[in-house]
Amino acid sequence: MFELSSSVGSVTAVLQAGGDVRTPATEFEAIFRVFLVLGVLVGVVVLVYMTYNAVKFRAGGPNTAEGDADRPRLGELPTGSGGGRKLFLSFGLSAVIVLSLIAWTYSSLLYVEGDPPGDDALDVEVEGYQWGWAFTYPNGYTDSTLRVPADRPVRLTLTSRDVFHNFGVPELRVKADVIPGQETDAWFVAEEPGTHTINCYELCGAGHSYMSADLVVMEPDAYETWYAGTDNSSEGSEPDGNETTSANGTTTANATLAGVLP
Amino acid sequence: MTRRNRHHERAERDGEHDEPRVADGGHERPADTDGGHERSPTPLEDVGAVGRAFRVEELPPLSSVARWFVTTNHKDVGVLYVVTSLFFLVFGGVLALLMRAELWTPAADLLGANAYNQAVSIHGMVMVFWFLSPLAFGFANYMVPLQIGAEDLAFPRLNALSYWFYLFSGLLLGASFFQEGAFSGGWTMYAPLNVPVYTPELGATTTVLALLLFVASITVSSVNFLTTMHRMRAPGLTLRKLPLFTWTILLTVWMMLFAFAALGAALVILTSDRVLGTTYFAAETAGGSLLWAHLFWFFGHPEVYIVFFPALGVMAEIFQTFSGRRLVGRKWFILAMVLVALQSFAVWMHHMFLTSINLQVKTLFMITTIGISLPFDLMVFALIYTLVKGKVRFETPFLFAFGALALFILGGITGVFLGAVVLDYEFRGTYWVVAHFHYVMVGGVTGLVGGLYYWFPKMTGRMYDETLGKLHFALYFVGFNLLYFPMFVAWETPRRVFVYDVSLLPWHQLSTVGGFLLGASFLVMFYNLTRSLWAGDRVEGNPWDYTTTAEWAVPSPPPLENYPEGTPTYARGKLEFLAPSAVRSLGRTGADGGTDEASTPSTDGGTVVRDRSSAPVVPETDFDEGGHDEHHASHASPWPFVVGVAAFFALLGLSGVNEGGLYLVLLAVGLLLGTVGFVAFGLEPFHVPEMVAAERWPFAGVENAKLGVWIFLASDVVLFGAFVGSYAFIRVAFGWTAWEPVPHDPFPGLVNTYLLLTSSFAVVLALVAAKRRSRAGLVGSLVVTFLLGVAFLVNKAVEWQELFHEGLTLSTGVRTSTFYLTTGLHAAHVVVGLLILLYLIARALRGGYLDDDRPVEYFGLYWHFVDIVWLFLFPLFYIF
Ligand code: HEM
Ligand SMILES: [Cu+2]
Repeated sequence: MFELSSSVGSVTAVLQAGGDVRTPATEFEAIFRVFLVLGVLVGVVVLVYMTYNAVKFRAGGPNTAEGDADRPRLGELPTGSGGGRKLFLSFGLSAVIVLSLIAWTYSSLLYVEGDPPGDDALDVEVEGYQWGWAFTYPNGYTDSTLRVPADRPVRLTLTSRDVFHNFGVPELRVKADVIPGQETDAWFVAEEPGTHTINCYELCGAGHSYMSADLVVMEPDAYETWYAGTDNSSEGSEPDGNETTSANGTTTANATLAGVLP
Repeated sequence: MTRRNRHHERAERDGEHDEPRVADGGHERPADTDGGHERSPTPLEDVGAVGRAFRVEELPPLSSVARWFVTTNHKDVGVLYVVTSLFFLVFGGVLALLMRAELWTPAADLLGANAYNQAVSIHGMVMVFWFLSPLAFGFANYMVPLQIGAEDLAFPRLNALSYWFYLFSGLLLGASFFQEGAFSGGWTMYAPLNVPVYTPELGATTTVLALLLFVASITVSSVNFLTTMHRMRAPGLTLRKLPLFTWTILLTVWMMLFAFAALGAALVILTSDRVLGTTYFAAETAGGSLLWAHLFWFFGHPEVYIVFFPALGVMAEIFQTFSGRRLVGRKWFILAMVLVALQSFAVWMHHMFLTSINLQVKTLFMITTIGISLPFDLMVFALIYTLVKGKVRFETPFLFAFGALALFILGGITGVFLGAVVLDYEFRGTYWVVAHFHYVMVGGVTGLVGGLYYWFPKMTGRMYDETLGKLHFALYFVGFNLLYFPMFVAWETPRRVFVYDVSLLPWHQLSTVGGFLLGASFLVMFYNLTRSLWAGDRVEGNPWDYTTTAEWAVPSPPPLENYPEGTPTYARGKLEFLAPSAVRSLGRTGADGGTDEASTPSTDGGTVVRDRSSAPVVPETDFDEGGHDEHHASHASPWPFVVGVAAFFALLGLSGVNEGGLYLVLLAVGLLLGTVGFVAFGLEPFHVPEMVAAERWPFAGVENAKLGVWIFLASDVVLFGAFVGSYAFIRVAFGWTAWEPVPHDPFPGLVNTYLLLTSSFAVVLALVAAKRRSRAGLVGSLVVTFLLGVAFLVNKAVEWQELFHEGLTLSTGVRTSTFYLTTGLHAAHVVVGLLILLYLIARALRGGYLDDDRPVEYFGLYWHFVDIVWLFLFPLFYIF
């Protein structure tokens, strides 16, 4: 289902979020939906209100007072301020909306920041480099494609070999900075088998636009079979150094890159 | 009498103008206090014809090209800023259109990867640094002195210097494209992509140096504006009564002073990494990457308000004028802005929610972030309620201001999304952010464009074409939304990429169409404004109804001296122009706390708020021994331009010093020219009269130049603070206790501490000697100070020499990098101090400073500051 266009991707994800597991994706969708509805509502109300008033009180309009009594005059000093009550009322209202919205999302933040649910999470180490990704499994096997079982939390520990990158899988709503010398972490659950794209979200040099990799979500059984066949000899060989980016899963990207880079 | 502008119906206003008023709506004023609109069409010639001062005559007429290179007048400089910033708008706009053209298809076709990355990076920098703020500061230069009733800024030559630094920094940026390519790591310049291992182009270094020069420009101008606004307000114009535009500029400049100092520190370190080979931001340095993010965003977040506040001020002025209503809740509006300005320094980590900072810190910054958004709600509502019961006229300036508010509201709402950290996690690095910040920032631009139309008649004396103005707005507003709204829909596109998912194609194409429409709308503006310069209807006074601020009470364009026929004062609760004799007596009454003491001009009691002398008061003028007529200000100096050129050469040379050859020549030429320029600057007689009576709270007791020095030192504190903070940050990441001081022997450092402390003492003696009018004492003490300073440097050189011999160089590691660079920055301050000392000694030998010892005093402030810094650095780098 993720082959659908990304612009409707959010909608599909929302539908999918009807499931039971709370994942970063479901958290995001739920919150995003509420924000979107409220945001549109507030935006429309405020814009309509201000336009309405501007037009209603246009010069020469029926509602506009004749004459210049109490209009500003050149050279006057500003006086105190009227309209304080109304101002504070609207301000208070908007403040309450904003504050409660944010407070409401805080529990979600705690959830996403916390450990993944259950204790069978798969741990994968992610290393970003110019310009690709290397995924290392608990058995030491390293690959340039991330394969994970469906319906099982995956915990990523991320770092960079060179510059600042950012790891993101838009469809699964997972994202983390990838910083040299630092470790960050993130987790996600992919509920259905399928293929997703991993992108880099921080400008990292000439190959940034092409710094993507595949995330393959497999049926749990198929995954176990595949995993059992791997060892730390790294058939999907992890490249080392900035130059030798070929000879691994990112060849397509690099082929394109070769045409683009000077 | 002023001719009314064609846009205004006169009838409804007549009949209530009988009471005598001094400045009553700007259309008709009694002839005796009218600010001089019975002038000839070219006020400058007029002034010259009167032969008021030979200084003025030195300023060539407006039509002369030479004038624009030597002028120091705030209005001229304002025009230069506006025009130059519009040039950079075109530059940044072309880069943007190139990107949008590239994004027409989801594949890479038009631009290569490097070209695209350069376009993104330089577009961002140009728009934020070289276009947005300078446009606002063009208005500020022009309007702030007029609004507060000053004749010029406090330091006119420094103002010109700011401008030339600004222009040449922009040219330097342009030059960087021709040195293997400009910087391509994004306007945020994240580390370690910003070091030569990953961006080896010489041009990338030049880009960094261009920014550094820009920071210098901003710092000089912040000092200037702060001194001006704090010390040169017309009597009765207390801070609370300042016009809103001036208020926003005041807060902007305070934020600039500190924020840009932090950016300056970051850029100095980066330059050193790129040119000298230190390793602060190298990938191997623990914490180096995060350090950059902290430094950059400590500057970067206030920067958001720095670019937005002036637009807010313009919007507030326009809303008031075009609705004929005073801003609702003005007091709260100002308070809200003050809160934002303060808090802007406590939200930077919200740009780093996805880094490894811990949950507690995230929560804290989430709270401060939401907190800072709330005052904006209040400001938005205040603007909206101002329209209610108004008499709203939909003329071009108002359309733009109104449109700006609408765009800002959308930008604000989408910003709340980002404030929710869980959402931010997903939006980070995507087009959601791109759309959001364009709505906010280009929303601000929209307000400023409104300001351009609003003040165009004031600055040129001509009216723009209203129909074309409306057409511009229509194209602009449609183009804008077509450009940026689709980005919200296509938000899953990563930022700064030129290939994207095919499914997003329609949205990106819409956006590109909008971009070109937006660009085209500016062609209409350029055509309209250029043509109106020659063909527009003449506006001699005030084309708008219901203006309140003082710039509208003088002719359009204002005469060179702003108020040649009467000094503005608000002492009696409204704007009046006093004849010079009345001003003298006013000066002797109190005008200190915004009370109306001055409303009864008398010579009896009252605090005397006059300066020690009404003779030349700025150190810039301390060579002015010629004793020419002190009532007339100077307006021309070629030296700011020369120093600007020198900076350009020197920095271009510095970008390639490691290449040698031509670059070394450029560097040498730049340094030489700079020395000549600065010395000539110092020697030039240049007269800036200080206001006789002014509102000066809270700096009534400090004179302009001293306040300027204090303010500059405040920014220097931040600079050193950022250096020491960086050191601490890296040391913590490294392991605090595992770190050993670089010099194994603290003894040379200890000796240097004594040397500096003694030299501070010698400066005090110099001042005492000057007060006693002892030339020998003065020269002697200054020479002792100088020798102690030299000894400090020699001692340091010997120490460094030994360390180098042990193989401890700048690039050995972070320990040596931080040691050499931080103490080196301090040593550079010592060197600058010694150069100033040389100048002082040369003048003292010829009998200078005995009558006016203030330059010695101000130098002392600087020198003590440099000593105090050492007292912090010594233990940090030699003992612990
Ligand atoms: C006039 C005020 C403007 C300001 C202050 C501004 C500011 C910025 C900034 C700061 C960036 C980020 C650069 C970076 O990521 O390093 C940016 C990116 C961009 N801007 Fe503008 N911009 C302005 C106008 C425009 C216009 C008129 C267009 C289109 C015609 C445009 C199109 C873009 C595009 C396509 C990007 C790249 C987005 C990305 O991939 O991250 N901008 N702008
Ligand atoms: Cu990357």
